[in-house]
Amino acid sequence: MLEKNYLWRIYWRLAGVIMVCVVVALAVVSYFSHRVFERELVPETEQKAATVAASVRALMLKATGYGVPFDKLYGVEQTFGEVFEENPEFSYAAVTDLDGQLLFARGKEPDGVREYFRRPAVVAVGLDPTATWTATRVGAQYFITMPIASDKPLGMLHIGIDGKFVDNVLLEVMLDVVVVLVVSLFFTLELLNFMAGARLASGLGEFAQQVERMRSGDFTATARIRANDEIGRLLRRIDAAIDHLNVRYEFLVGELEDKMRAAAGPRREALKPAMGALEVMRSRLRFGSAPKDAEGDEMNLNRIRAPLFAFILAEEMTRSYLPTYVNQLLVAIPGFSPQIVIGLPIMLFMLIVALGQPYLGSWSERVGRRRAMLIGASIATVGFAATALAINLYDLLLWRSLCALGYAMVFVAAQGYVLDRTGHDNRAQGFALFIGAIMVATVCGPSIGGILADNIGFRLSFAVSAVMALASLLAIARLPKVEVRTTTSPRPSRGPRMREIMALMVNKRFMTLTGLAAVPAKVILTGVCFYLVPLYIVSIGNTSAMAGRMLMVYAVMMVLIVPLSASLSDASMRRDRYVSVGLIISGLSGLLLLISDSFLVLFGVVFLLGLGQALSIAAQSALVAEHCQEEIRIYGHDAVYGVYRLFERLGNALGPLIASVLVIFWGYQGAFIAISALVLVCGIAFTIATRGLDWQPQPVTQ
Amino acid sequence: MGTIRVRFILVALVVSFFAVGMAAFLNYFKYKSTIGNIVKSRVLVVGRGIENSVQASLQLGMQFSELSQLPQLMQREKSSDRLVRGIDVFDYSGQVIYSTDRARVGQKVPATWTLAAERSKTTEWATEATDEYVAGISVKNAFDLTVGFLALRYSRDEVEQAAAAAGRKILLAALASFIGIAIVAPLALIVVIRRFERDLRTLEAAASHLEDRAQPPPSTGSAFDTAIGHLRESLRDANKSLDDLRAKLDTAG
Repeated sequence: MLEKNYLWRIYWRLAGVIMVCVVVALAVVSYFSHRVFERELVPETEQKAATVAASVRALMLKATGYGVPFDKLYGVEQTFGEVFEENPEFSYAAVTDLDGQLLFARGKEPDGVREYFRRPAVVAVGLDPTATWTATRVGAQYFITMPIASDKPLGMLHIGIDGKFVDNVLLEVMLDVVVVLVVSLFFTLELLNFMAGARLASGLGEFAQQVERMRSGDFTATARIRANDEIGRLLRRIDAAIDHLNVRYEFLVGELEDKMRAAAGPRREALKPAMGALEVMRSRLRFGSAPKDAEGDEMNLNRIRAPLFAFILAEEMTRSYLPTYVNQLLVAIPGFSPQIVIGLPIMLFMLIVALGQPYLGSWSERVGRRRAMLIGASIATVGFAATALAINLYDLLLWRSLCALGYAMVFVAAQGYVLDRTGHDNRAQGFALFIGAIMVATVCGPSIGGILADNIGFRLSFAVSAVMALASLLAIARLPKVEVRTTTSPRPSRGPRMREIMALMVNKRFMTLTGLAAVPAKVILTGVCFYLVPLYIVSIGNTSAMAGRMLMVYAVMMVLIVPLSASLSDASMRRDRYVSVGLIISGLSGLLLLISDSFLVLFGVVFLLGLGQALSIAAQSALVAEHCQEEIRIYGHDAVYGVYRLFERLGNALGPLIASVLVIFWGYQGAFIAISALVLVCGIAFTIATRGLDWQPQPVTQ
Repeated sequence: MGTIRVRFILVALVVSFFAVGMAAFLNYFKYKSTIGNIVKSRVLVVGRGIENSVQASLQLGMQFSELSQLPQLMQREKSSDRLVRGIDVFDYSGQVIYSTDRARVGQKVPATWTLAAERSKTTEWATEATDEYVAGISVKNAFDLTVGFLALRYSRDEVEQAAAAAGRKILLAALASFIGIAIVAPLALIVVIRRFERDLRTLEAAASHLEDRAQPPPSTGSAFDTAIGHLRESLRDANKSLDDLRAKLDTAG
């Protein structure tokens, strides 16, 4: 049979080749850009150096005007120092007399500069008071030279521009180019799946299924329309072979029945072996038409990935710059500190998603998954477009609420779409597809969003999100209109009831897991990643693109570690330990800022937070079923998980609120430390609470 | 060319287009912001000269609204750099007190100017008007209180022409890279997916002979060999059962 990873091996090989091509192309673009930068920026910087030199010269002439001898001027070096501070691209400045002898200088002296000062052409500049300025390259520096003259020539002023300044400018671009490369890799895999893989995977999957069906003796014919590609042609040939068998079978059965009808007595007896053979064959093999519901819907299942990815990407793109954008539209709300007001749109978004999701599930079931997604994506598209045009915080809150409502609708309906098209055998595969699309969007979105925000501005970046949401709308419209429910699809979902919420809230086992692990994990996620990181990075003079890169580190950790930790925790059956270790690592992350507030430390914070969350996230959810068996027996699986998810999402909403309150009292660093310490305490408490307990189900009051 | 191959090549082209496009986009905007900053800081050098003079006068006890020599100084500084279109000094309410353009005195500057000055964390600020850029300095007195603002208006052309010229060159480099990748990537992909295509061809060939009663073809080492074996076996088994039925029917006469 086909190896499970056969296609993925092909994808990775293809992605490798595409990446090599992309790296070469990016290197070419970067090389030519460097040349353009050098060619165009150097003259502009020389012009600027000339303006600065003119200003310094005016100061010197003012001093000589008061009678201070030119070679005895005081504070020239300090002035040069101030010039370097304001213009980091200048690395050397000097004043020479009319013979080219050095009088004052500051900065690292380049090799051969004294010879340059004494060159006749340079000395000639000093002797000509009408000369403006000249530019020359000396060693690794670009020099501009300007005469200093009052009523008579006095000397020359030279300013050296660091030849590497263009490299430094491009180094910043290189970081973004690396981000583009990582995003390209994920896009490649996503596109391989979308443009080729979905059909290929479903075609090969169908081929494998067909082989299995035939091995089990099922030769029933399916009336499917096959794609006109290699796999489609192959399936058509298999269909033809099955059709031929069915024709033969029908013909033989018809002949036998005719003969049986016409036969009597011994002739009928003679036909008995044939009847027996038919019976034996019927007991082993099945012919005829395949029942419609026996046909899987794998092809249509895969089709959800592209619209989901595009839609989630639209929202994720805003993560790295939303708080900074809100900061720009800030209006004073009496009784609220600006820090809390900045967090309001994120809180509101999370709250709407938290409260809406349990009820939108059954709504999407009623109206149809595709229709629910169409409505949700339309609402979100309007929300993104309106956010781009927001006037102030008040209308921004309204537009972000629309985005949240749309997000919740699409998320829930897409989840339902997967549930509807999967059975027990392939539900995990279906959800891997669902989560995969979200994770890839989480890796790509914040970094690309940050880059866009830095370059084209916040409003246009929101417009790009609106376009992405619109693109997802088009992809959703291409989903099958017919709603499907497999025989193993779960029963209609419903939101948790107040009675269940109240009962579970006072349940020790449930609350140990939810209150000490799930909620703190979400609080630190949204508090740190969605609120503190974007704001803190901008506050220390960095860009939204850098915030995006940081959030990308978190997402990459999740993508890499979650599958590993999920399988390890499943294998070890000590999920509580994974949750404990994950929470403690998350809790330690922010404490790193006690050592230093440097940028590298912040990178460490996000890295550790990603690692901690990745270790605990998969185990946490599985622990609910493991630790709350009695509760599940009483209230049902849906209710217990419904309340668990509701609390988790409320944790999402609480994160920015807690972080903003902490910022008011202790500033950004203090907030990082305090929120981490809170999670660390919860992690330790969870470890103590679960240590040595066998978690035998206990009776609960209903 | 197989449709799957075409799809893979399309993926390579789309991804390359995205990556090269993003790189060109980033380089262009980096260039634009760098050139914009260089030009702005050049203009601000001119502004610093005026600011120093204003501060010197304020330290001598003169009122901000009584700096009679300021217009001449502003005029001189304006002519020192062809880039500068005009220099205005305005107060907290946004009213222009001094200007190189007499007609502007007494008028109000756009609210975006005062807003940009208020929002800036340093004494320097910048904003954009329709046809010009504005770079400014908040003028402070000896008590570190802002007494007014100095605004230098300069042409957008310098920055935009430079950015457009660089943009064209970056675009050309990006296009050349993309064309290069569009030629190389399909060739490289063809090499890589050769084995997959061979597997598919083997499968297709085997599928076209599924109903042959002859001996199965020897193993090709393809990933589909086992599956093909199972297919043939299942069909042979079904055909055998049907043959058996046929034989029994024929025997019965």
